[in-house]
Order: sequence, then structure tokens, then C-alpha cells
Amino acid sequence: MEFKERLGKEILFFDGAMGTMLQERGLQTGEIPELWNVTHEDTILDVHKLYLEAGCDIVKANTFGINPFKMEGTGYTCEELTQKGIALVKRAIAETGKKAYTALDIGSLGKLLEPLGELPFEEAYEAFKPVCIAGEQAGADLVLIETMNDTYEIKAAVLAAKENTNLPIVVTMVFDESGKLLTGADMEAAVAMLEGLRVDAIGLNCGFGPDVMKEFLPKLREVCSVPIVVNPNAGLPVVVDGKTCFHVGAEEFASIMTEIAEEGISVMGGCCGTTPAHIKALVESCKGKKPLEISDKGRSVVSSYTHAVVLNDRPKIIGERINPTGKSRLKQALRENDLEYIYKEALAQQDMGAHILDVNVGLPEIDEVAMMKSVLTGLQGITDLPLQIDTSDMEAMEQGMRLYNGKPLINSVNGKKESMDAVFPLVAKYGGMVVCLTLDENGIPETAEGRIRIAKRIIAEAERYGIHKKDLVMDTLCMTISTGQENAKITLDALDYVRNTLGVHTTLGVSNVSFGLPQRELVNTAFYTIALARGLSAGIINPNSEKMMAAYHAYCALNGSDEQCTDYINIYSQQADAPKKVSDKKEVTLYDAVVRGLIDSAYQAAKKELETREPLAVIDEDLIPALDKVGQGFEKKTVFLPQLLMSADAAKAGFDAIKEFLQAKGDTSESKGTIVIATVKGDIHDIGKNIVKVLLENYGFNVIDLGKDVPPETVVETAKEHHVKLVGLSALMTTTVVNMETTIKMLKEELPDCKVMVGGAVLTQTYADMIGADFYSKDAMGSVRYANELFEV
Amino acid sequence: MKADKKETLRYLGYRGNMPDAQTEKLIEEVMEELEKSSLPKSVYCEFPCEVIGNKVKIGPFSVESNHLSKNLQGCEKAIILAATIGRSADLMIKKYSVINLAKASIVQAAGASAIENYVDEVEEEIRKNAEERGFYLRPRFSPGYGDFPLECQKEVFELLECNKRVGLTLTKGNLMLPTKSVTAVIGLTREKKQSCHQKNCSRCEKKDCEFREE
Repeated sequence: MEFKERLGKEILFFDGAMGTMLQERGLQTGEIPELWNVTHEDTILDVHKLYLEAGCDIVKANTFGINPFKMEGTGYTCEELTQKGIALVKRAIAETGKKAYTALDIGSLGKLLEPLGELPFEEAYEAFKPVCIAGEQAGADLVLIETMNDTYEIKAAVLAAKENTNLPIVVTMVFDESGKLLTGADMEAAVAMLEGLRVDAIGLNCGFGPDVMKEFLPKLREVCSVPIVVNPNAGLPVVVDGKTCFHVGAEEFASIMTEIAEEGISVMGGCCGTTPAHIKALVESCKGKKPLEISDKGRSVVSSYTHAVVLNDRPKIIGERINPTGKSRLKQALRENDLEYIYKEALAQQDMGAHILDVNVGLPEIDEVAMMKSVLTGLQGITDLPLQIDTSDMEAMEQGMRLYNGKPLINSVNGKKESMDAVFPLVAKYGGMVVCLTLDENGIPETAEGRIRIAKRIIAEAERYGIHKKDLVMDTLCMTISTGQENAKITLDALDYVRNTLGVHTTLGVSNVSFGLPQRELVNTAFYTIALARGLSAGIINPNSEKMMAAYHAYCALNGSDEQCTDYINIYSQQADAPKKVSDKKEVTLYDAVVRGLIDSAYQAAKKELETREPLAVIDEDLIPALDKVGQGFEKKTVFLPQLLMSADAAKAGFDAIKEFLQAKGDTSESKGTIVIATVKGDIHDIGKNIVKVLLENYGFNVIDLGKDVPPETVVETAKEHHVKLVGLSALMTTTVVNMETTIKMLKEELPDCKVMVGGAVLTQTYADMIGADFYSKDAMGSVRYANELFEV
Repeated sequence: MKADKKETLRYLGYRGNMPDAQTEKLIEEVMEELEKSSLPKSVYCEFPCEVIGNKVKIGPFSVESNHLSKNLQGCEKAIILAATIGRSADLMIKKYSVINLAKASIVQAAGASAIENYVDEVEEEIRKNAEERGFYLRPRFSPGYGDFPLECQKEVFELLECNKRVGLTLTKGNLMLPTKSVTAVIGLTREKKQSCHQKNCSRCEKKDCEFREE
């Protein structure tokens, strides 16, 4: 019988540790165990046989560490080591005459993925791919992705297995004592993503012994709707004389595992420190036990790389601000590739209490696929909220779903056949909840019944793809009452039926209801409250609107989902009598606001000044003198770095006000000149460079920031392309100053007139002279001074 | 893991000056957020240690380094350790670089202090255990210090299974991610007089460093 047919119906047994067995047989610490597939094949074969004799049903091939990064320089390819690893299991099975499945064992690449690390998601995928292909070709029965601690890396591995093989996929992860992955992801988030990806079984391995793992299982079972796997260590690792040991013996191991079996576990085995004796004892005491029936927990859940958001009786808020429709500033940001503006919008909404953020970056004049990829990747380094991938471009949708670290909300599918044919396969493959618009080939029905009919059709069609209605969020389409007053009623009647009769979650683009009316917020707030009461699960609203948020919090207090009104009281008790802060803000001049580092006040003050003065005067008479004052204080050491940066941020807010003012008039501000800055190749510490960037921009320079770990060639090409006369380079490590030197050399050869300024922790004047830099800046202000001198000539 | 306020100020360049109230509030906010979100983890392993000339052998690991061999002179054993406070500092720096640069700089400083504090804590645990067995600790010494090659990170990572045990990764240039992490060698010696608690600064070549402590 196939593995998949037995999975979940009877307890199946994995084997135990390979590393532990090999160390006993002479494997040195630090040696690569997978090379033994070639150099010590008899040893590997013997270990497999011992586990088979112990009675296991699944043998892990010795392929855990095979990936292009670890195999580099070993003289072996991933393919040959993988094939050899699988072949050895097959041989052991044949020679012992036992029946067992062969698992292609896949572990971590040991690299951190973008946006925090340097490995792009697709490169991680490519690293797993050859191992998956070779494993299936060699005859593996399943893929086991194990000892994982990063959901993003797991996703790359799962996709590599799914897209290149037809094998069942089992994923086991290492949680720490707080029940989280090392990335901070909780169990619920990891399970949401993996169930979305339709893996066949989910579980825990390594990290702890069976006693600790047992504590995690109730939580896992509560959220998990697929078979569960448990492969613990033989206790916690203890180091004795340079050797890692595990102290839980076979009998003790088996006895705790027997208790674990009662929890309804489907697959059991061992990780570090377990031996054939452990597995034998385990099989003897648990063989024949039936796992509990696996039930669908029916949870409607999306997740980010840290946590899950469940749609339930407590309504959720989807922030609408990252959508260019009707937002000229966002359109401009998208056209100028100003991702920072988008990140700020995201963080502002998170601050206001949004649970999920809508991300729509579609503009006719930009490459939406590329923009979706870079915005999604970037946002996942800035905010831990789950994201809603909002696009009508199927390629952008698919790329977004691939790159998303979690289970996203997808916006949207509708009742048209063409739409369902395109979107549902993506949801079935990558996972996600999906917003369903109740319209079809004939347009938007003008009755609630019409929209309900479409909703039912969408539910039925989704089911055909294996997409359960728990993963649908029906949008019964909110239209403005200014063109038909019955519109609100139709929308709400349909919404009520969908949620309360069909049992499907709901969403609405709430603010559409008031389009064309004055004082829209009044109508929006009232409509929002009614919609919540009728069953709106997750409205798409503007969380920056205090009135909408007040309606939300008041509703949650009223419907009882805000238990004991805790949140309501926390948020509104201090606000009740406090006088509005705005009054004292008015007193602050722009100059003072910048000197004191008051961001909001600086923005407001600049706006006010612009009512009566020319932008240039505001810059030259207020902003720059204020920056100078703070800068001088910094150099005299009466002002310190955080204050300098607060002032820089405040000045930036002032400049933003000026930019907006000019843009409204159709003008643009003039730059003093263009400067390219970069943190050199090999170096990843870029906070200093980022500080320099903000200061230079404040002083009116156009700064092209190439980021960190930048190859010399990129610096030279960019400098050439923009004809710049100044390049700034930073390096923190002695080891990367070499790359700084190379970059300077190449720059001087190709662009003899271009000046280079350098800075960073290890540099000194002497060092800077040695590597041929034109200027050594010991701090951020130094670079401003140098640039000013250079460009004023 | 808690950062030390004094150290954080030192890393920010305060050199004994007191911050103003506004900055102090930011520092406290950052320290609290960092403490709540960091996930400190460590792993270490003790090996026999042998020093001949500039050649150092610690268990299966060997390296040529004048500075390290000097540091480990007279040590029978050595501990190799890796520690991290996790990713949250890096994520916070990314986030605050967008909305509040001052806070980003404070996370940088507080994160540096937090990982140092954490490694001190781990070292204290090692010290207690070593003293019970009659050993004294040498100051910890990291790949990249002096002529102890940064390339050794690779072997340290293999040896301690850093990725699996504490979630550490190495970049192509052998830098650690998450960035607020430390790997180090600590020598164990029977000779008390040779054990010293000198600050790591005194061995550093960068004499004009803003942060130098004598």
C-alpha cells in the first residue's frame, strides 16, 4: 500500500538518528555525513538495516545536508549523493526483506533568506530542486522536510518538492520552549502556511526529548487538520568531553511516546540521540494503536511570518491604504519606486490597529509583477501583519503568492468562469484565503438574491479544487448610495445571508458606500457599524480614520467579542478628557521643531510656512539653519547621535511638506547634485550608510542608494550612468575594506574625476589614505560637509 | 535579554554625557521592545586544546593564529561557543530605518549591548562549571579578532551545528545573520595568574576608536 493511503489510519514509525549512529562509527565532528554515502556505504547500509530490524516503517535516507552550498568543494554533486543515499535505503530494504518506505530527507540550507538575509527566495528554491528531482528518480516514496526553523525556507523546500515531484510531503519543525520557531513564528502561523501548501503531514522534531514535546501537542492538535508527526530527540543534548550526548534511554523514550500516541499522533520516530533500541522499544509499545480520527478544524485563517489571524466572531480590519486608486501620493511613490513611502503607510496602519494589510500596486505605467515582488518582499521585513495580495494581474498574483511568507489573503476571484479558472488553481497550490466578488459575466446583480446565487456558485466551484468554504471571504459588493439608495440594503442583505446562512466569511470595501456624497466619513461609519452587526467578518477600511476605528472598537465592545470591554477601555479611557495635543504643536516654529526633533510638528509647521513664504525661503532660512545648528552641536559633542537623527527625521518631514506643495503646483524641487552611496561587497552593516543618506538628502542632494553587499561593478556602472562626481562607500569589517579598495580602484580607472568618500567602524584616516579614498568621514556630518564643499565649487 | 543602558549610551557616542529626556524615553522604549522580542539562544562545546607555536588545535578544529595562540597559551581545554539574541534587533532596525532613524540607531546600540550581556551570562555559567573543576577562563576571543581568520566561522558553524541549534546563518562573506550574534573561543587553564579579565579593547589595533575602553 502507498504511504499516503496508510497515513493517518494507523501509526507509522520513522527510524531514529543517523548522525548519532555515524558518530559511534567514527564520523568526526564537523565532517559531512552525507559524503559517507560514497566513502562508507557499508556503514550507512548497516545503520539502515538496524533500523529496519527494529521495526520502522519509514527509513530516512542519509540526504539531510545535501544542498549546493554544503556540497561546494567536496567534489560530489547533490544529484549523485542523493541518488546514492536513496539507493542505500532501497538496498537495505531488499536485503532485509522488510517492507518500508524510503524518505528523501531534506534539511536546512543554513542560509538566511531575504529580506533579512542575502539568499533570494527563488535561489533557495533552486537549491532544493535538484535534490528533490534526484530523490524521486532514485525511488524515494516521500519527501521529509525536517529540522526546519524558518517558515520561508520551508516554503521554498515544499514548492521545490511539489513542483518537481509527485511525492507526498511531510514537514517537521523545531520549536523552542516558548512554542515558537527561531524566526518567532508560532505554531498556528506555521500550520496555516503548511496546510495552505497542502502538505500531507506536519510535525515536530529535534530540539527536545519526548517529555517536552508532549507539552506542545495539545496546541498543535487544536490548530492542525492533517496527520501529526513526532520525532523527538533522546532528551536534551548534553556535551561531555566535546561530544554531544543524549540521556533518555530506550525504555523511558518508549514509555513517554506511548503517552504521546494517545494524543492521536499518526507518525512517530526519533531524532538526535535515538538508536535502533529506542525505535524497537517504541514500535513494541505502540504498534497497532490507532491514531485518533483527523478532523478538519474548520478554521478560517491567514498568517504572516510570525502569527496567524483567524476570522471569527471578533471582526478584523483590513487596511486599505496601500492601493493607488484615488491616491495621487501613492501613485507618485509607485512611479518613483519610493518603497519607503509604502512601508510608512504600512506601519501607520499597523499602529492604528489594522490586522491585515491590503497590497495593491497596480498602475498602468509600471511593471506590476516586478513591483508586487519587491513590495511584498520588502514589506515582510518591515511589518509582521498578514498581507492581502490585491491584483487583477494573474502573474503578479502568482508571483506574490510564491514570495509570501505565510498564508495570504487573495483579492480576488469572482463568479466569472475565466476568473475562477485562473485563481482557484493558484489558491489550491500556494494556499490562501480568497476574497470572492459576487459578480459574474452578467455584471453585478441588482438584487441580494442574485448575489447570493453567485456566492453559492463560487462556493461549489471552489470545492471542486479542494478549496473549502472556510477559505473563502465573500464580498457582496458595496456600491454608493448616491446612485441608488437601495444599494446599501442589497449589499447588507446578501452579506447577512452569506455569513449567517451559508456560513462563509465576508468582506466589503466599506468606503465605497459614500462615493459622491459630502462628509463621507459620517456615512461610512454608520454603514460600517450596520455591516458589522449583520455579519461583516473583515471590512476593508481606512484604519487611520479615528471615527472608523471608534466604530470598530465600540462594536466589539457591544457584541461581546472584546471581553469585558478591555480593549475599548484601554484605548479610550485616557483619551476621554485629555485636551487635544494639537494646541501646543501650533506654538512650535519650523526651526524649533527641527532642532528639537519633532517630526509631526515639523511637517505641520512647514505646511503653515508655505502658505505665506516661498519654498526656497523656507528651506534656506528655516530648515537648513536648523540642521546646521544640530550638526554643529553634534560635531562639538553637545548633541548626540539620536538627537541628530531625530532632527534629520523632522527636517525630512519638513521637506516632505515642501515636496507635496511643489507637486501640487506641478513643480519639482531642484537637487544640488547626485551622489551614489553603497555598503561594499561582503558587508551587511548598513545603518551608518542609511544615516548618511538621510542627512545628504536633507541638504538637498539626490542620493542613489545601492544598498548593502554591493559589488564594485554595480557601483562603477551606476556612477557612470548618472555621471556623478561623488561616491560614498561604507564598510564595517576589516575583511571588507579590501572590497572597498577594489571598488575605489575600479572607480578611479573608469571615472578619474569622480571623488570617493569613505566611512565605517574600522576605518581611520591612515587606512582611508592607504586604499586611495579622497575623503575619510569619521561621522555622518563629515560627509555632508565634504559634499557641500565639493558641489559648491 | 536586557540591554545595559550605560553601554547603549556608550555605543551611541555619549562618552559619559547624559541623554536629554526625549532621547532617554526613546532609549527606554527601544530597550523594552527589544527585550520582549529577542530570543536568546546559545550552544557551546568543550574540547581538548593544544598550542604549538602559532598553531592551535581545539578538538577537531585547527588554525594558525599568533593572537589566538597567545590567548590560549597554557590552556588544556577550550570552549567554542555561539550565541545570538535572534532576529528581532535586525527587524527592528529595518522597521525604524523607515519611520524613526533615531530609534534605529538606538536598536543598533542596545542590540550590541544585549548580545554582549547575554554572552557574559553564558560565560558566567561556563566559568562556574570550569571553576568547580579547577579551571580558570581566558577572555573570549572571536574569529575576526587580530589574525584569527574570519573564515574559521565556517568550521565553527559545522562544529556546533549553529544553524540547527540556535538558528544562526553565515553570509558568503562569513558574517553572521542575525547580526546580533557572537562566536568565540574561551580557553580553560589551570593557572590562575594567567587568567585575566582584560577588556577586549586593549588588544584592538584601532587606537583612535570612539568607543575604546582602556
